[in-house]
Amino acid sequence: MQTIGTNTVVKMIAAAAARIRANEKDLSALDSATGDGDHGTTICRVMDAAETAAKGDTSGKITELLNKVGWDVMSVDGGSTSPLLGSFFIGLSEGAGSSAELDAKATAAMFEAGVAGLRQQTKAQPGDKTMIDALVPAVEALRAAANGGADVTAALRQAADAATRGAQATKEMVAKFGRARNLGDRTRGHADPGATSISHIFTAFAEAVGS
Amino acid sequence: MVMKKFINDPKNLTPELLEGFALAYSDKVALKNEKLVCRARPKDPSKVALVTLGGAGHEPALSGFVGEGMLDISVVGDIFAAPAAPKVFDALKLTNRPAGTLLVVLNHAGDVMSSNIAMQMATKAGLNVKSILTHEDIAPGANAPAENRRGLVGCIPLYKIAGAAAEAGKSLDEVLALAERFNNNMATLAVALTTATHPASGQSIFALADDEMEIGMGQHGEAGTGRSKMKSADETAAIMVTQLLEAVKAKAGDKVLVIINGAGATTLMEQFIIMRGVGKVLAQKGIVLARARVGEFLTVQEMGGFQMFVAKMDDELLKYWDAPCDTPYMTVR
Repeated sequence: MQTIGTNTVVKMIAAAAARIRANEKDLSALDSATGDGDHGTTICRVMDAAETAAKGDTSGKITELLNKVGWDVMSVDGGSTSPLLGSFFIGLSEGAGSSAELDAKATAAMFEAGVAGLRQQTKAQPGDKTMIDALVPAVEALRAAANGGADVTAALRQAADAATRGAQATKEMVAKFGRARNLGDRTRGHADPGATSISHIFTAFAEAVGS
Repeated sequence: MVMKKFINDPKNLTPELLEGFALAYSDKVALKNEKLVCRARPKDPSKVALVTLGGAGHEPALSGFVGEGMLDISVVGDIFAAPAAPKVFDALKLTNRPAGTLLVVLNHAGDVMSSNIAMQMATKAGLNVKSILTHEDIAPGANAPAENRRGLVGCIPLYKIAGAAAEAGKSLDEVLALAERFNNNMATLAVALTTATHPASGQSIFALADDEMEIGMGQHGEAGTGRSKMKSADETAAIMVTQLLEAVKAKAGDKVLVIINGAGATTLMEQFIIMRGVGKVLAQKGIVLARARVGEFLTVQEMGGFQMFVAKMDDELLKYWDAPCDTPYMTVR
């Protein structure tokens, strides 16, 4: 059975950071449409901090590595992005528990704990045009695939596809949270930059595990 | 359009501006841990401390109001981005005292999340801290839920009033009660004419046609909802002040504090002409202009436009507004 350990987790985070860096300008441009135009810069700093923390891990334990990633992300001055993603990684750390290797079902459980951690920081619900709209369907797809017997790579691929669809669906939504909320109906037609970042992160996770 | 700004590496905007700020006002402020702007001469520890947090790029806000009679520490994030929760917690540890600390939070998603996490950390550590959320923007409607209304320039007079009460030796509960009373009697509306450039990304943060203005624009250039053709100063002043006076339920004989806060590119000339327009409406309604300030307090880079602030004042609030303070960007003797 395919499992992931600390080395793979480090690869996943590094791949996500690289993919975010490659899309920095596009993400900022997306944010200019509905916010203040800095999402690309901020998510880059957040993912750079995550990558540095992950690569600097000496514990060799998934839970400790992710806890360090979470607190280092939380310590970035990044508006709401850092408390949200910091809480997500701390949630992943709690979800990973003491396991050294995670199979597809354990990976799903880890990501469910990540979502729960992030959702402690915001009242945003699916449909409110936030990162929740990519994250929640991604983790639901991950769980469904894992329960259906998929291996980690296949399950994460399902999650990435669901995140991408979720991010695209935010185009038709009207923002109810964050700075974009004040724009009301004018947010329609633009994908949410946070949700788009989540889709990039999950796509990179799937590619890193698959390779 | 190419960004035209005097900067060095866009990644170092915030530390570099803070270094220059601390250098210029070394008699009033001192920088700790790179991004905590503290009073150069700390307040007597028997008095309540005042801490705030927020992004940079809005100079002189928020750190320009650190000093005697106003803030003890301003926790600075990055350009338009809230500081991290652990940094806010660091500030609360620095001001920790039996008299307690009041944390003033402007209602923006990142600031609220960071302050919530910092408050949880403070409570766990046994610190005596209370917080207050400013949310005086009436762009979504004066009766919209508080969580949908942004904190705009109103935080600055609130620092002044709460800071004066703290200097006067009031308890944390008394300072908080006074600040809440002021908070519940203030309102702000912003208007934008021209966009600003995000100094890190170089991107324009919104677009308005040459002949348009927008009432309700946020202080990060987040678009508002009332876009219209350009109006005269008197028309604009009248539309805005009428809504603000309604929001604070000001009636004939009431005393108000008015602040015209330039967004960055709007000249003082225009701000004074707007102030004159406000004065005419107040006179018509028999409302007393008790105090006023005109100038740049909280800016949005080179955005054109201004925020208009109105607060209904009573004698106690006026007493604290008039009390001495000595900060880089507000001094009362």
